[in-house]
Amino acid sequence: MCNPYYSFLSHSYVPQDMAVDIKLTGRENVALFAKLYGIPRRDETIERVLGMMDLSDRADDLVRTYSGGMRRRLELAQALVHEPKVLFLDEPTIGLDVAARKKIWEHIRTLKSRGMTIFVTTHYMDEADHSCDRVAILDHGRVVAVDPPARLKGLLGKDLISARVSGDLPGDLPEGIELLGGKENGEAVFSSENASEKVPVLFRMLEEHGAVVHSLSVHEPTLDDVFLALVGTREDVSGFDDHKFRTMLRRR
Amino acid sequence: MKDIFYYFERDMLRWVRGRVSVISALVMPAAWLIFVGLALPTTFTENYIDFITPGILVLTMLGASLQGGSLLIFDKILGFLNKFLALPSARESILFGKILFITARGLLQATVILLLALVLGASFLSPWSLVLTYGILALFGVLLSAFSTTVALHLSDHDAYAAFNAMVSMPLFFTSSALMPYAVMPTWLSPLAYWNPVSYAIDAIRALQDGVLAWGRIGALALLAAVVVGISIRQFRQVTL
Repeated sequence: MCNPYYSFLSHSYVPQDMAVDIKLTGRENVALFAKLYGIPRRDETIERVLGMMDLSDRADDLVRTYSGGMRRRLELAQALVHEPKVLFLDEPTIGLDVAARKKIWEHIRTLKSRGMTIFVTTHYMDEADHSCDRVAILDHGRVVAVDPPARLKGLLGKDLISARVSGDLPGDLPEGIELLGGKENGEAVFSSENASEKVPVLFRMLEEHGAVVHSLSVHEPTLDDVFLALVGTREDVSGFDDHKFRTMLRRR
Repeated sequence: MKDIFYYFERDMLRWVRGRVSVISALVMPAAWLIFVGLALPTTFTENYIDFITPGILVLTMLGASLQGGSLLIFDKILGFLNKFLALPSARESILFGKILFITARGLLQATVILLLALVLGASFLSPWSLVLTYGILALFGVLLSAFSTTVALHLSDHDAYAAFNAMVSMPLFFTSSALMPYAVMPTWLSPLAYWNPVSYAIDAIRALQDGVLAWGRIGALALLAAVVVGISIRQFRQVTL
C-alpha cells in the first residue's frame, strides 16, 4: 500500500502487551478506539464488536474485574472497531489458560471465516497447526519455511521415535533410521518409516552398543518437531527482554 | 482536534477514579502554604501569605506538571503508547492530550490552594487579575507539561523518571523568586532566580497583585512555551519505540 494512511485504515495491530485501561469499563475502552478511528454510528459499532467477542454482559464493568482471556478479547474488540481487512496479532494467547486460549482461537477462526486475513505470531505450535492455513517458521527473523502445516510436517516425511537413553549413541544406525539433531537431556529423536516395526531393531542396537534405554515412543511428527529440525534446539541467546518478561508475569 | 479531547477524557476518567492520587496532589502545596506561609519569621513584608501565595500557586503547577510526565511513562511501559502510535490520528494529539489534562489538573489543584490562601488571610486580586493569573498558570503548565511529557518519552522506566523529577523540581523551585524577593537574595542567587522560568510566572502573578501587567515576564514565558512545545511536537512525530 503506497499511502500509509490507507493502510492504517485497512489493518489493525494487537501488540503482545495486554494494554487495556483497568480503571475504565470494557465499553469505555472500546469507545476510545472507536472515537480515535472516527467511526460513524459509534454506539452501534461498539455494541457489535463487544457482542462478537462475547463481552456484552460485562461491558459496563471495570476492566479491573476481567480475566486475562476477557482482557485479550477486549483488545480484539478494540482492534475490530474500524472493520480492518487485515489483522495482526502478536502472541494473542500468551499467558492464558487452556480454556481461554481455546476461546480466543475460536474467535480468530470466526473472523477468518468472515473473510478477514489474520497474521498471528505464536510459540504454541499446536495452535498454529490447528488453526492456520499457512505457517511460517522464523529463525532469528529469517523465514526458514512457509507452508500449510500438513506439508511442513510432511517435510520430516517419516514417523518419529523418541528415546530416553543413558550412555553414548552408536555411530551408525540400522538402515532407514536417522538421528535428528543430537542427544539433549538424555533424549534422542530418530526418524523412520514404519517406525513401530523399527523399534525392536533400534532397541537391540542401542543395548548392544552399551547404552541403557529407559523408554521408546513412536509418534507422528508435530510442528514442534519441524521447528526443532529446522531451527535446531539451541536456545535463543539474544538479549533478554525484561519488559516482555514483566508483561508475562503480570498476566499470571 | 477531537482526538486531543478523547485522549484528555481518558486520562481524566482514570484520574478521577483513583481517589488517592486526587488527595495526595493537594497535600504537598497545602503544607507549603500553611507551614512556610504562616511559620517563617520574615521581616521584608507585612503579609507573607500574600507574598508567598503566587509562589505556591506556581509550585503547585510545577509539581503537577512534573508529576504528569509519569502518565506517559505508564502509557509507554504498559503498551498503550505503542497502540496509540499505530492509530491513524496525528501523533502530536497524544502530546496535546497530555498537556491539556496535566494543565487542567494543575489548575484544579491551584484553585484549591487559592481558596485555602484566602481562608488563611490572603487579600487577593481583582476578578480581572484573577483571570490573568489563571492564564499565566496555564501557560506555565503548558510549558512544563510539554517538557516533562517529552522527557518521559525518552526515559525507559519509573525509576529514571523519578530521578529526573527529583533532580529538576526542587532546584527549579528554590532558585526561583518563590520564597523571597530579589532584594533580599544572596548576590549569587538573584541573577539565577531572574532567569529561572519558574520566576517568570511568579513575578508576573506578583505584578498583578500590584495591578501591573508584566509583559516582559509573560512574553518570556510564552516564547519559551512555544519553543518547548515546538520541540516536543517534533519528538512525538519522530519517535519509534
